[in-house]
Amino acid sequence: MTRRHVTALARGTFRETVRDRVFYLVAVFGFVMLASTTVLSPLTIGAQGKIVSDVGLAAMVVLGLLVVVFVGSGMVRKELDKGTITTILAKPVGRREYLLGKFLGLNLTMAAMLAVMGVMFLLMLLMSPGAFSLRFLVAFYLTFLELSVVTAVVVFFSTCVSPVLAAVFTLGVFVAGHLSQSIRDFGSLQEGVVTQAASTLVYYALPNLEVFNVRGAVVHGDPVTIAHVALATLYGVCWASLLLLLSGAVFSRRELRG
Amino acid sequence: MSRQLLVEKMSPVVVDAAMAPGAGSLGGPTADDRAAAEPALRVADLTKSFRSGFARRRLRGIEGVSFTVGRGEVYALLGHNGAGKTTTIGCLLDLVRPERGEVTLLGRDHRDRASRARVGYLPERPYFFDYLTGRELLEFYADLLDVPRRERTDRIDRVLRQVDMLPDAGRRLNKYSKGMLQRLGLAQALLGDPELLILDEPMSGLDPLGRREVRSLLQELKRQGTTIVLSSHIVPDVEELADAVGILRDGRLVLNQRLDSQTGACTYLVRAAAPAKAVLAAGLPGWALPVGTAEDSAGSDTPPTLLATDAEKLRELLDACHRAGLPVRTVEAQRSGLEDLFMRTHAQRTVV
Repeated sequence: MTRRHVTALARGTFRETVRDRVFYLVAVFGFVMLASTTVLSPLTIGAQGKIVSDVGLAAMVVLGLLVVVFVGSGMVRKELDKGTITTILAKPVGRREYLLGKFLGLNLTMAAMLAVMGVMFLLMLLMSPGAFSLRFLVAFYLTFLELSVVTAVVVFFSTCVSPVLAAVFTLGVFVAGHLSQSIRDFGSLQEGVVTQAASTLVYYALPNLEVFNVRGAVVHGDPVTIAHVALATLYGVCWASLLLLLSGAVFSRRELRG
Repeated sequence: MSRQLLVEKMSPVVVDAAMAPGAGSLGGPTADDRAAAEPALRVADLTKSFRSGFARRRLRGIEGVSFTVGRGEVYALLGHNGAGKTTTIGCLLDLVRPERGEVTLLGRDHRDRASRARVGYLPERPYFFDYLTGRELLEFYADLLDVPRRERTDRIDRVLRQVDMLPDAGRRLNKYSKGMLQRLGLAQALLGDPELLILDEPMSGLDPLGRREVRSLLQELKRQGTTIVLSSHIVPDVEELADAVGILRDGRLVLNQRLDSQTGACTYLVRAAAPAKAVLAAGLPGWALPVGTAEDSAGSDTPPTLLATDAEKLRELLDACHRAGLPVRTVEAQRSGLEDLFMRTHAQRTVV
């Protein structure tokens, strides 16, 4: 692993995606979403700030997810079709370096996008009396971690299946990842051993993305402990690393024929 | 066309003439010395098949491909589309994993990442990031090649100048034409000061002027001692450059031959500066006028092109012209025969 190679790949990916118009469209969309909350908020009495922050945080996750899934799913395939990947790997660059660089570049794009949306979000909250709080930074951070795990998922799928399947699978993992806690709880209430075992298996096979969801708690002023944030960080890093190792193993064996 | 050019041998042949002796000399050669003494590229018994479709049907990619390219040589891989050129090149660079066979790049196993440090590669259809500028793209590749930062700008300027892209380096790649992308592709291949250049169809997508520029650039690189392996399905593109050719057909190397063994195998086209009638009346040897020429040129003012199939015949023809008082305007040498060879190996297809 050479740091210079990984940095170059990450920077290249970041520049390319940030300059891609898709990114701007989604950013504009985010702005429109946040702006629309100002239209919605007069309809609520007394809960103006909560509505704005609820909708805003949800929009950030959805838009971040869209960028990660749609840019990430075609990553390997698109570059393979275009021949770019072969010019990179014909240089003394390892395939794992390539994947890590791509992951970091995509992650950086997503982080930049969250940052832009976060600033817009906080500025909007300043306009609603009493809604502004720096506790939202915790929600931003955990959303970033959640989407980093999703980025690792999409990188993994992009190494082994077509872009459409990679997008569908990743969205599937995102939805199931938010339900995995419920699936386990549901299983533990069941009588059958098989159902219980199956629900436990699903729980451990998928990242539990609810761990990162403190958005509701932050909006409603419920406490979020430092211990929770630390554990969630560890959990996210472990999942992302595991998925990247797995992607590396799959990608190293892959034939790269345009 | 001279018949001696046509080689009947239809089985894979390894060109060994270029192989340097691997024996160690006194004083104990280092690993680098040994690598330097090795040929630039050695391919032995490369075999690869692909599985396709739901039933995973086996499709043959290439089979038993062997050839060696000595340092400073130009080797052309010829073949129709689908003959296995790109698969062979993919195997050389460890992009495609062969089932059998060995590849040594500049003395190192091709699976060793370091073997690619001094190898430049241009894929068949080079497209890059759309939103980077030409210079940014080359900076990106320079980092991947570990070009020292101090040298980076100079090196990039140099390769941009080599491919005549310096004025356009600030534009984004999605504004480039196909030919410009091809030239930028060459620039990235040259960026690492390669000892070995592997070019997949380097002339495809270029207009005639672009082809000529690329050809002269490759000639220049050859003069500087760069080893070049290039694939093409257009024979005249490689004819002037190549020292040796390998012809692939249906995944097999059906011919592997050095072209310098054909020294003297030039065809000379002679044009006289005299009216057609005077040329026809000059009493030149019959073989100098291809069949039908006399009838075609009889009524025209343009003098017919006279043909000498080797150097001896050229001398004879020039003597004859001199004796007849015919002024000669041009003599053009054409290393023909490769096209013949190519057509001949492919003509066998109908027989098989």
